[in-house]
Amino acid sequence: MAKVEIKHLTKIFGKRPKAALKMVKQHKSKDEIVEKTGSTVGVYDINMSIDEGEIFVIMGLSGSGKSTLIRLLNRLIEPTQGQLFIDGEEITKFNKKQMLEIRRQKMSMVFQNFGLFPHRTLLENTEYGLEIQGVNKEERRKRAEHALDNAKLLSYKDQYPSQLSGGMQQRVGLARALTNDPDILLMDEAFSALDPLVRGEMQDELLELQANVQKTIIFITHDLNEALHIGDHIAIMKDGELQQIGTGEEILTHPANEYVKSFIGGVDRSKVLTAESIMIPALTTNIDVDGPTVALRKMADEEVSGLVAVNRKREMLGYLTSDEAVKARRNQTPLSQAVMQMPTVDLDTLVVDIMPIIYDAQTPVAVVDGNKHARGVIIRGSVLEALADTEGEETDA
Amino acid sequence: MPNLPKVPLESWISEGVNWLTTHLSGLFNLMQRSGQSIMDGLTNGLTAIPMPLMIAGLTVIAILTTPKKYGFPLFTLVGLALIANQNLWSDLMSTVTLVIMASVISLVIGIPLGIITAKSPKTAAIVKPILDFMQTMPGFVYLIPAVAFFGIGVVPGVFASIIFALPPMVRMTDLGIRQVPVALVEAADSFGSTTWQKLIKLELPNARNTILAGANQTIMLALSMVVTASMIGAPGLGRGVLSAVQRADVGSGFVNGLGLVILAIIIDRFTQKLNTKPGQKLVTRPWRRWAILATALIMVGGGVVNAATSQKSSGQKVNLGYVSWDSEVASTNVLAESLRQHGYDVTMTPLDNAVLWQSLANGQVDASVCAWLPFTHKALYDRYKNDITLLGPNLHGAKTGFVVPDYMKVNSIADLTNEANKTITGIEPGAGEMITAQKTMDSYANLQGWNLLSASSGAMATALDKAYKTKQDIVVTGWSPHWMFSKYKLKYLQDPKGTMGKGESINTITRKNLKKDNPKFEKVMDKFNWTKEDMESVMLDIQNGATPKQAATKWLKSHQKLADSWYK
Repeated sequence: MAKVEIKHLTKIFGKRPKAALKMVKQHKSKDEIVEKTGSTVGVYDINMSIDEGEIFVIMGLSGSGKSTLIRLLNRLIEPTQGQLFIDGEEITKFNKKQMLEIRRQKMSMVFQNFGLFPHRTLLENTEYGLEIQGVNKEERRKRAEHALDNAKLLSYKDQYPSQLSGGMQQRVGLARALTNDPDILLMDEAFSALDPLVRGEMQDELLELQANVQKTIIFITHDLNEALHIGDHIAIMKDGELQQIGTGEEILTHPANEYVKSFIGGVDRSKVLTAESIMIPALTTNIDVDGPTVALRKMADEEVSGLVAVNRKREMLGYLTSDEAVKARRNQTPLSQAVMQMPTVDLDTLVVDIMPIIYDAQTPVAVVDGNKHARGVIIRGSVLEALADTEGEETDA
Repeated sequence: MPNLPKVPLESWISEGVNWLTTHLSGLFNLMQRSGQSIMDGLTNGLTAIPMPLMIAGLTVIAILTTPKKYGFPLFTLVGLALIANQNLWSDLMSTVTLVIMASVISLVIGIPLGIITAKSPKTAAIVKPILDFMQTMPGFVYLIPAVAFFGIGVVPGVFASIIFALPPMVRMTDLGIRQVPVALVEAADSFGSTTWQKLIKLELPNARNTILAGANQTIMLALSMVVTASMIGAPGLGRGVLSAVQRADVGSGFVNGLGLVILAIIIDRFTQKLNTKPGQKLVTRPWRRWAILATALIMVGGGVVNAATSQKSSGQKVNLGYVSWDSEVASTNVLAESLRQHGYDVTMTPLDNAVLWQSLANGQVDASVCAWLPFTHKALYDRYKNDITLLGPNLHGAKTGFVVPDYMKVNSIADLTNEANKTITGIEPGAGEMITAQKTMDSYANLQGWNLLSASSGAMATALDKAYKTKQDIVVTGWSPHWMFSKYKLKYLQDPKGTMGKGESINTITRKNLKKDNPKFEKVMDKFNWTKEDMESVMLDIQNGATPKQAATKWLKSHQKLADSWYK
């Protein structure tokens, strides 16, 4: 079951939401709607489903409605229309008190400008969520200190936010959000205010955190590279409407429309595409069975100069070139002695990490899965092809 | 302009205030009485703290709150010592009481109101124009309903001060709450804060410095109202300033004003210290905090010991009301000193003339020796004659009229042509003599085109003095007995039409039930009388620099027999 389910969620700001809603259904432009009704369309007819434990990135430029959307999730902004389910419960029907419970127990938020209370120390900031729930002082101190310790900021606990750098402040923001132990983390441009180096560190820390605690994270950003780096799924928004939802690769390889296409134009693809998406099928020879003659025959048929050598269990053993196969046939030696070492990468290794390997390698690079089965190979040509900025290329997966 | 009828705004407002006065009199009386006793208690408490102890204590606190700086503690020490040296200490304590009361009530009303206006745009839309009204309407205007509601004394003074001092408290609280960054409010909301938690844990702490700035403003405005409030009998430094203005006594005015300035600076500096950055403690070291607490405790302890050991005055309490004219200052002080010598506990309350009559009518003042009849105060007497008791003259041969220096040739009002720039220098607008003077100007044809300049008794005396020294023409509204007749050669202008009144007497009036409640005192009041010459000798002493009390004591010493006769 999906952790968060959004159905037809719509938010119109202003006094005449109905009139505006009617116009947006007729596909009138934003400017026209504002002019006629004085209302602004925040988001319109959003449908999405977010799985437990994933990092779901909502991306768009400013004014795209992404910040409105995340605030609809904890109802800091009340939706005009539509439904929102968390763990199957329709929270758009919840009253104020139930909503307070949801905010206290199920979801916490991390803000772009950190949203730390300037008059409270880091510890007091971190324990805020527990404090308003009425958790006793000793208990909440303990848990807050634990969260700060995880963020490596325990020694600063009696400092005030203004005494800290941006990166440290956001670590506190994250620690504060985690102290409540929520299922869902809402992160609104959480790293956008940080300088690039710190931002990268924070992204990695978030991924690490995700691996350890398995929260459902909904992450807002305007930075596609960030989205591609951390997102399991990415939703792209424009003018309050959803353009496409998919994995980073799906979006890069199959952009749904011109807008998405233009959006992804500037992306560094080597940091997004994985081995799986650029590999070509591996031609194998089972050296437990095949002799040199069979192997050479196969190479001739496929017009290649080498094969991936596997055993009976189809585990990858190395690379067999035609030169070595010829030598083996002449010397009457078994093929197993003719097999060369072959570099391997995992299915999800990024292209950027494959490039130095393939540069040094004498052979193609094998892509193997967890069972050591060769799923494909990467040759220099396929890397170059993937990085070339051609659109809609058909790389096999 | 088409001939539209005038909207009867004045009578509407009067009727509204009257309605409130009659229908809510129970509530107002309760507030008056409880307020009065709270404030008496506060003043007594403050006065009970021995003066040197309080000065020392405040200086020590100033030192502890301003580490490594000597200016402020030194100012506190010297400033307070100067006030004490000028014999203004008890006035200072009364003023402090008024300011504390007005500020505390303003805070108690203003902060919640500011929070509500910040949260509710609808309330703000209603409250804001009311605040504008309160702040821009001249403070004097509130005095009239304040007296109608609460009578005279410190309670209406506090009422008027609150109206003037409350708006900045509301506005600054509102501003402070609104200024809390949206991002922080969102953060608090996102963790599931209730409205109340948000207010207590986020908004108020963040708005703290703005609210404190508002409190500072409020205190300063309350302080600025003390002079105005003294017009309706609020005691304190303001009373000194007011009577100095009425007597054109530059020296005394400045000394009392200086007391207010010193108080204002000390309060301002102390309240500004409350303004801190997040994480910055008001007082950094714990021992300082303990020391401040200890100092405060010693001061309170000193007050308690002093109050317990000092004897309370056991005499009968009587309240004499008077108007700060030179003649009435003299007579009331002589009477008060004499009563004190006979064991009475006398309170003297200087009041505006109209307020004095009203206070007698509603029984807040026991008696007064200030009624000029049958002419000058005829209008007031007619209005209140059913609510007061007239005991008859205490001084005969009083007179009012247009007075000129002897060196001027003119001898009769009817002969005035274009002397003194066709100006008659008058006294306070609304004074009885000003009304008769206006009547006079209307009835003499030769006075057409003349001006009646209203000022104050003191300003009139100063103008006369200046003109006399340079032998210039001047016509003033004068009366006798007055020291000016002893000091300068002056003459009354003849009044062939008799519009300025013929001979007058100064009368003793009391509240209605005084005879029943305190027959002994009433009898003294009935017997009190003296002569024009007696009064003028006391007035001249005062004019020459003696305090009213000194002059009164001196006169009593030399006229023991006459004074004793009042008690037989």
